[in-house]
This record gives sequence, C-alpha cells and structure tokens, in this order.
Amino acid sequence: MIDRLLVMINTVRQNKGLTRLESIQPSDDLRRDLELDSLDLAELTVRIENESGIDIFEDGFVNSIGEILIKLGKRPNG
Amino acid sequence: MDSLFFVAKDGEEFTYSRLIHDLNSCTQVPHYCKLLKTYDIFKTILSSIVHGIDIVLLDSDFSELELKKLAIDLDKVNKYKNVSKKQIENKAELISLIKQARDWRVSLYTSGTTGIPKKITHRLDNLTRLARISEKHANDVWAYAYNPTHIAGIQVFFQSILNGNGMIDVFKLSSDDVMKRINGYNITNISATPTFYRMLLPLCSEYPSVRRITSGGESFDPHLSGHLEKAFPNAKLRNIYASTEAGSVLESNNDKFVITCPDQCKIVDNRLFIHMSLLGVDDATEGWYDTGDLVEVVDPEVQEFVFIGRDNELVNVGGLKANPLEIEQVLCLHPSISKARVWGKTNPVVGTILVAEVVTMNSCSEAELRAFLKENLQDYKIPRVISFVDNIDLTRSGKVKRI
Repeated sequence: MIDRLLVMINTVRQNKGLTRLESIQPSDDLRRDLELDSLDLAELTVRIENESGIDIFEDGFVNSIGEILIKLGKRPNG
Repeated sequence: MDSLFFVAKDGEEFTYSRLIHDLNSCTQVPHYCKLLKTYDIFKTILSSIVHGIDIVLLDSDFSELELKKLAIDLDKVNKYKNVSKKQIENKAELISLIKQARDWRVSLYTSGTTGIPKKITHRLDNLTRLARISEKHANDVWAYAYNPTHIAGIQVFFQSILNGNGMIDVFKLSSDDVMKRINGYNITNISATPTFYRMLLPLCSEYPSVRRITSGGESFDPHLSGHLEKAFPNAKLRNIYASTEAGSVLESNNDKFVITCPDQCKIVDNRLFIHMSLLGVDDATEGWYDTGDLVEVVDPEVQEFVFIGRDNELVNVGGLKANPLEIEQVLCLHPSISKARVWGKTNPVVGTILVAEVVTMNSCSEAELRAFLKENLQDYKIPRVISFVDNIDLTRSGKVKRI
C-alpha cells in the first residue's frame, strides 16, 4: 500500500512542480516533510478515495503517512 | 516609539516610520496595482489614498488571458501617475488621512456568475463596516492570513492600520511557522478561513496571547471550535458573513446568524437577500440583492438562521470562489479538448475541491493539459483531478451537467 501511496503523492507533487520522491516513511509529516499544502492534501484525499473508497479525513485530521496507512488498514476486506 | 507595521513572509520587518518614509518618497501612483509583495501592495493602497487616486487591485498571479477577460490592457497595468511628494509627520497623521478619505475608491474583481469576473468598487465605509476602531484596540497584533488583493484581506488591513496595529504575515506559511509567529510576536487577533484553521491542526500547545479568532470566507466549521477553544483559551470566536459585493454583513459567535437589521438583510424562500445600499458604489441602489446563499431558519422568532449551501454554481475552494464555466471555457481552448465539465466535490480539507472531466479529439497528456491551464488560470482555478473520458453527460436542456 505504501508504494501506491508513494505514486499518488508523487502525482500531487509533480502537478505542483516539486520533484519525485524515491521513498516515503510512516513517520513523514504530510505538510512539513512532503511539502503538501491544503489543496494538495485535498487532491490526495480524492485520489485515495478514488482508489480505495476510503475518505482518510472522514473522522479527523491526518498528519503523517503512518496515520493514512492506519486509516486504510481499517478497511474490512484489507 | 517606532511601532511595527508589517512582518513579511520572509521575516523582513517594516515599521510605521519606514512606511511613512516610503509614502513620503513616493512620486508615482499606479491606477492598477498588480504586485507580488504584500508590503508593496499595502504601500500602493496607502499612496493611492494619500494622493486621492482611485485604485484597482489585481491578483499578482492573474494570467494574460484572465486580464484580457477583464478588458485590462497589460500595458496599462504598469502605467503610473506622477504626484508631488507628501510630508506625513507621523502615524497619527497617516491614520487621520486615511479616515478622511471618504471619496477614495478601490476596485476588485469577483468571480461573476456568467464566467466573466465582475468589477466591484468600494468606498472606505463599506470596507470598514464591522471594523472595531478604538483606544481599546491600540495594542492589537494581527495575524495576516488573507490574500491582500481580496476583500477579506483589505478589511483586515484597514481594521489593523486604523488602530495603528501591526500585521504579521502568516498567509500560506506552514503551521509550525504560523505558531512560531503567534508566540514570537504575541499575536492577539487572527482572522482567517476555516481551511486555514484546519491546516493548523493538531494544535498541541496553548497560545494565551490570542484574544480574538475570526472565521470567514467559507461556511463555519463547528468541529473546529473545540480545537480552537483549547489552543486559544483566552480567545473569543467570531464568525463573519461577508462577500466581495458587500463587504462584511453579519457576525455571530457560532454557525448561527441573527438578522439584527431588517433593513439590511432579509430571508425570502430560504434565500438570503441583502439591501442594495450595502453593495459597492456601482451597484448601490434601492431594492434587494440575491446573494445566492441558501439558508435555513432555525428560530423564526428572532430570525436566526444557518447557511446550508449555494444556489449558483460558484465553487468555494478554501475561501476563493471559482467559476466552473470559466474553467470549462479555458479547457476547451486547448486544441485537443472538445468537451469539458468542471464541478466542485465536497472535501474535508478545503470544503470543496475542483475536479474535471475532459473529452479529447486527439491525444494529449495530463501534464501537457496542466501546463496549458497553469499558463492561463490562477492556481486555485485549476482542477486538482482531471479525468479523461469518452463522453460527458448533458442535461435535458443541452447544458453540461454539474453534480
């Protein structure tokens, strides 16, 4: 899943002219480490929802890659 | 004592003495203000006031195509009018000059419903309608969290300068930097959109210097209140309903508003109307203006209501209004695109996000299309997710259907 997430984050980053990342860590902060602003986070939520059907911000703010992975892990069918 | 006027994003500090020195050195004032740096925009607004010249504020990132739609010639944008130097003595004299500028007019643009932005012209009294100006506010320090060429940013600017306050730029800063500035400059007032406050979460510490938190530009987010009250224990919360057409109209301390002046606002069939006399100078006539905002009355006895949505198609993206029609028109200017549909999709981070579907006539990559949009539209108007589809649903009347 973290690989899929990396692809989506790179799409968002490249759309705003930032470089591609080689890897991401669960501890990475979405805003500080990955340089995503509010609109980038909004775009990321749509991309994740389109792929997984899960709205990662549904029950509170998400700040790190690890927190996204936990939300995605909640899906009953894995 | 030389007090602080403004702290820029990069940390540069501008005092009132520096501001007055710059105003006194000014020999040219533009009619159109299209500048990048917030301090330069403030300085230009003030020069136009002290020299009695009306000014038009343009976003620094307006593209050539966008300016063309506003019927503004690029050559005109950089034209200046020569003026003779002023000799402003001090901050008190500057404030008094601003207060006397009753006839001075500023124009700005709002996303028109037809796809062509509309010019709105205001006098100072419209921009300071809900401003609080008194001795009590002499030591306020403002977090500046808006675009300086938009109505909310102009209102915060006047609220601050008319009290001789300092403004600390926090617009588009990271949440860590915003919090550092709140502590470092003992910020007392923050005025921002719900999106701005959401981006500060999680708020792990307390910030006792803040006494007033104002929310505006988008629907108030009741989920935020708890977080904000905890982090800013000494702050009172205020929610403002404002528009580019009218400036600030209503305020409350939660998501419910009460109509206190029935000659200014009324609700008819769940729609909010404001009296035309509150609008900009070109529109201020008799009669009522339909805001396009849909409301639900929760207590008919006191005319208490909440906002439930909008009737027209403007999409509110983090406080900035985008017109899907304008964006569809630009998408269709690309040689490979035959049809386009743009609409707002509800989003937990920014309220609404723009998404698009396009039908292509010949092959075109998303990157290529994005580069084209970037050249022709302001960033917030560019759909964040673009899907390439075979067909686009039309409504029965043949119009593009927006969900």
